Amino acid sequence: MTTTTGRLIDPAPPAPEKTAPPTDRRALSVSGLSVAYPRRHGRGAGESVLRGVDLEVTPGQILGVIGETGSGKTTLARAVVGLAPVVGGRIEVAGIDVGGLRKRELRDHRRSGVVQYMFQDPLRSLDPDLTVADLVGEPLAVAGVERAERRARVAEALGRVGLDADALGGRIPAQLSGGQRQRVSLARAIVTRPALLLADEPVSALDASNRNHVLRLLDELRRDLGVAVVVISHDLSSLAGIADRIAVLYRGRLVEQGPTAEVLARPLHPYTALLTASAPRLDRDPAVRRDRPGRSGPVSGEAPAWAGEPGACVFAHRCPLAEADCRTQPGGSPHPGERSAACHHPVTTSADRLARAPRATT
Amino acid sequence: MRTLRRTGRMPAARVALAVLAVVALLAVLGGVLAPQDPLAQDTTRVLQGPSGAHLLGTDYLGRDVLSRLLAGTGRSVFGAVESVGAAMVLGVVPGLASLWLGRSFEWSALRVVDALMTLPFTLFAIAAVGVFGNGLHQAMLALGVLLAPLFFRVSRAAALGLKQAQYVEAAELMGASRGRILRTHIAAKVLPTIAVTTAHALATALLTVASLTFLGVGVQPPAPTWGGMLASDLGYLAQQPWAPALPGVLIMITVGALNLLADAVRDSGAAQAAEPAAGGSAGGTSTGAPDDVPAARDARERKADERVVTV
Amino acid sequence: MSVSSPSEAVEAVEAVHSGPGGEPVLTVDGLHITVAGGRAEAVRDVAFTVHAGEAVGVVGESGSGKTLTCRSLLGVLPPGCEVSAGSAVLAGDGGAVTELTALDRRQWERLRGAELGAVFQDPASYLNPALTVGRQLAEPLRVRLGMTRARARERAVELFASVGLREPAQVYHRYPHELSGGMLQRVLIAIAVACDPRLLVADEATTALDTVVQAEVLDLLARLRDERGLALLLVTHDLAVVAEVTDRVLVFYAGEIVEDGPTQDVVHRPAHPYTAALLRVASLGDWNRRELAVIPGRPPEAGQAPPGCRFADRCDFAEDRCRTAPIPLTRTPGGRRVRCVRAAELTPILTAPPEEVPA
Repeated sequence: MTTTTGRLIDPAPPAPEKTAPPTDRRALSVSGLSVAYPRRHGRGAGESVLRGVDLEVTPGQILGVIGETGSGKTTLARAVVGLAPVVGGRIEVAGIDVGGLRKRELRDHRRSGVVQYMFQDPLRSLDPDLTVADLVGEPLAVAGVERAERRARVAEALGRVGLDADALGGRIPAQLSGGQRQRVSLARAIVTRPALLLADEPVSALDASNRNHVLRLLDELRRDLGVAVVVISHDLSSLAGIADRIAVLYRGRLVEQGPTAEVLARPLHPYTALLTASAPRLDRDPAVRRDRPGRSGPVSGEAPAWAGEPGACVFAHRCPLAEADCRTQPGGSPHPGERSAACHHPVTTSADRLARAPRATT
Repeated sequence: MRTLRRTGRMPAARVALAVLAVVALLAVLGGVLAPQDPLAQDTTRVLQGPSGAHLLGTDYLGRDVLSRLLAGTGRSVFGAVESVGAAMVLGVVPGLASLWLGRSFEWSALRVVDALMTLPFTLFAIAAVGVFGNGLHQAMLALGVLLAPLFFRVSRAAALGLKQAQYVEAAELMGASRGRILRTHIAAKVLPTIAVTTAHALATALLTVASLTFLGVGVQPPAPTWGGMLASDLGYLAQQPWAPALPGVLIMITVGALNLLADAVRDSGAAQAAEPAAGGSAGGTSTGAPDDVPAARDARERKADERVVTV
Repeated sequence: MSVSSPSEAVEAVEAVHSGPGGEPVLTVDGLHITVAGGRAEAVRDVAFTVHAGEAVGVVGESGSGKTLTCRSLLGVLPPGCEVSAGSAVLAGDGGAVTELTALDRRQWERLRGAELGAVFQDPASYLNPALTVGRQLAEPLRVRLGMTRARARERAVELFASVGLREPAQVYHRYPHELSGGMLQRVLIAIAVACDPRLLVADEATTALDTVVQAEVLDLLARLRDERGLALLLVTHDLAVVAEVTDRVLVFYAGEIVEDGPTQDVVHRPAHPYTAALLRVASLGDWNRRELAVIPGRPPEAGQAPPGCRFADRCDFAEDRCRTAPIPLTRTPGGRRVRCVRAAELTPILTAPPEEVPA
């Protein structure tokens, strides 16, 4: 059962030296987080899904997490709510070490609704038989909130996401449009007045207008309620519209993080550069588009022979800038302006160097 | 729950329910409605055809067939209900519990069920009657024990799928207790499956009551039951070839209505499963056209598409 | 962001347009599609042409009728939906033409895959999980093109290589669950183009993919178009995706075409307020904090469209005359069509590139 995964964690290791400051100022603090799913057969941890991730989110801040499918974005969010097997590191939500919570404490922590996880697909995460009012009120009902107060808070939460509680409260999810369903999900997540909201690809199934609508709601919520928000998305441009900071994951490693505009406009890590170069834009005419740099990385012959080795930089196999020193995984070295990038050659001109690097053809 | 409500609106289900209502009425009032004493023998008028005095004729002891059919309804139906009720209690509760009460309970429950499933129906009933004494209750409870694995497996399978549903995971993240998850998210969805199983099991039990009586297990003569009448009438096939048809038709109609109802429940459950996709038009909130959103894709539709690319 | 001036963009488009051959592959005329068993009309009077080697984008919100239109062209309309009027003609080899709206099931099966290829959003659900992807590609080659087993396999590996799958010979023996979403979409594209169709329909084919893979798949579609002279019909809700790879774009709203024209022309000088609204909400490669635009209101439900312009209720520029009578799709210079009575006066207002509008 999923709730038991939290108990598999070894007692949290002594806090790494850098987490000294008081934690009450941070809604989420993740340090040295590693996650590995157990092997299907035999004992011990299997392949790592996340390795040594450090993150912080303060109240009222939006952190955007980007990366390709399988890069560990979802696992990161699930680890925070205790749905992924953490094998190392420390997770603190509003000052509480959630990795150390056991059975009853974990349940009480969950009932408090301090942290909320918003699933990607509302059709699957909302019970198809329950009405909107019941769905949104469920976290309160679980926590034992009185019926009258529950009704008021459900109406308030629905109102915040722009839904009319009287008109839609009695409907079931199948009777809502895609955008409305996602907003019901959001209402359910904020009804407990959380300190931290984790939204896993909340907009990937929505069209552009609905996507912007939901993202704007997240923006309003952090402003009005001071909730810290972690948004996972693969739509860089719309995410950039609301996120204060961006964290880029690649194969389970945090390869770059920093203020949104800086990270996306002047990437330090070659993978971030590849991401921003791949984002669709309007003004690129077809002839130019096809000459875009670094799309597919080196063709099989070009990648360094050591690129797949365990200690090597995770991006080396696709990186046109890979050199001999990339044989060791670089740490997340800090850069000016609260930025960090896990790259041996983090130059502000890396986008330009990418452009000049030998172009891969498929 | 919506499945069951929807079922009530289906015409086939209404017909089935009407038939079952009549059967239930006969079960309760059959003895009162019987025009004559079902046990009174009239040896001067044995094996007679339908007449003014005996609307459906008389049997080999000169008893009124109509009265016996009416009076026998209760015993036959209550017997079946009793065994299925026992089976539900013995099957559904451990079936759901096996998912939440840990590995060792799950393992033991599964082995017990496996063992029960190897036992042959009739033989077990005869053995149970041999131990606990011959009587309808003993035989029916024995039958209930044997039907329990069916309910165990069905409810467990249904709940197993639901337990991994994302909305159950979401409820766990809210800190919901097992009981609450079971009540709000699982029970309503397992119910239609159990309803289907119950209808089928009732039909099975009704036929088994008949076949057990046929073997002289369970109900003791001269008390009338449908199965008992069928059995004795078969002995006089040469004199009255049409006689076994009367209890036979009653059994058939009741079992048929139960199966019809079970199918209706199943169909409306399937219609519900397909509903999210139809939501656009059925719900009337979207534009009527199917959503372009990925989640709203109908499985059937996908299958249709599949042809496009795989042919 | 440096925007090339509209005139430059137009030149670039014209250069692309003059490239591929010009004969029409697909001609749709007066297409109407009803839903809910004929009770409501979800697509009304849709007419457009796709020429050989041309990439046409179809954009619109959820429920705009774009997906229904595209499905009707593939013969896979959902239950309860049917083409109630109009025609869709697919030109075959050697001047043969096929009326798509009149085909029976058997004829559809002969046509699909052979002359019409299709790629959908969720590749995993269109592949048989129990068979290797190579076999699923080789099978149609053997059945439709009569290839021998060995030849079909050889050709399948070639096709896998041509859609950019590395180590195609190994991929041939993989099962769908062993491949990533991007790889599966490439496999599906390989299957779709295996029998050299004249038209490839891609229905939200890149929506579920992440940014880098999406760009790669779009590149692949563009390359196949260039190499094979394939006509491409790309259905998506993201105008930015369309701007990437198409020559021409059709903007759908509430079951109607509201704007049609050369892509670069339309995205840089929208004539219809709805196109301008779509541009405002599209992902534009803007990395700054800003108020994200939304299109207020909801599109009318099928069968409940207002008498006049269907976008009027959500339009900033609607006047009384917009609401009285249906607005015709009017031809404008430059090979464009637009369904707006104020198009001529609005174009300069709408043209200001959305990324330059202060947040």
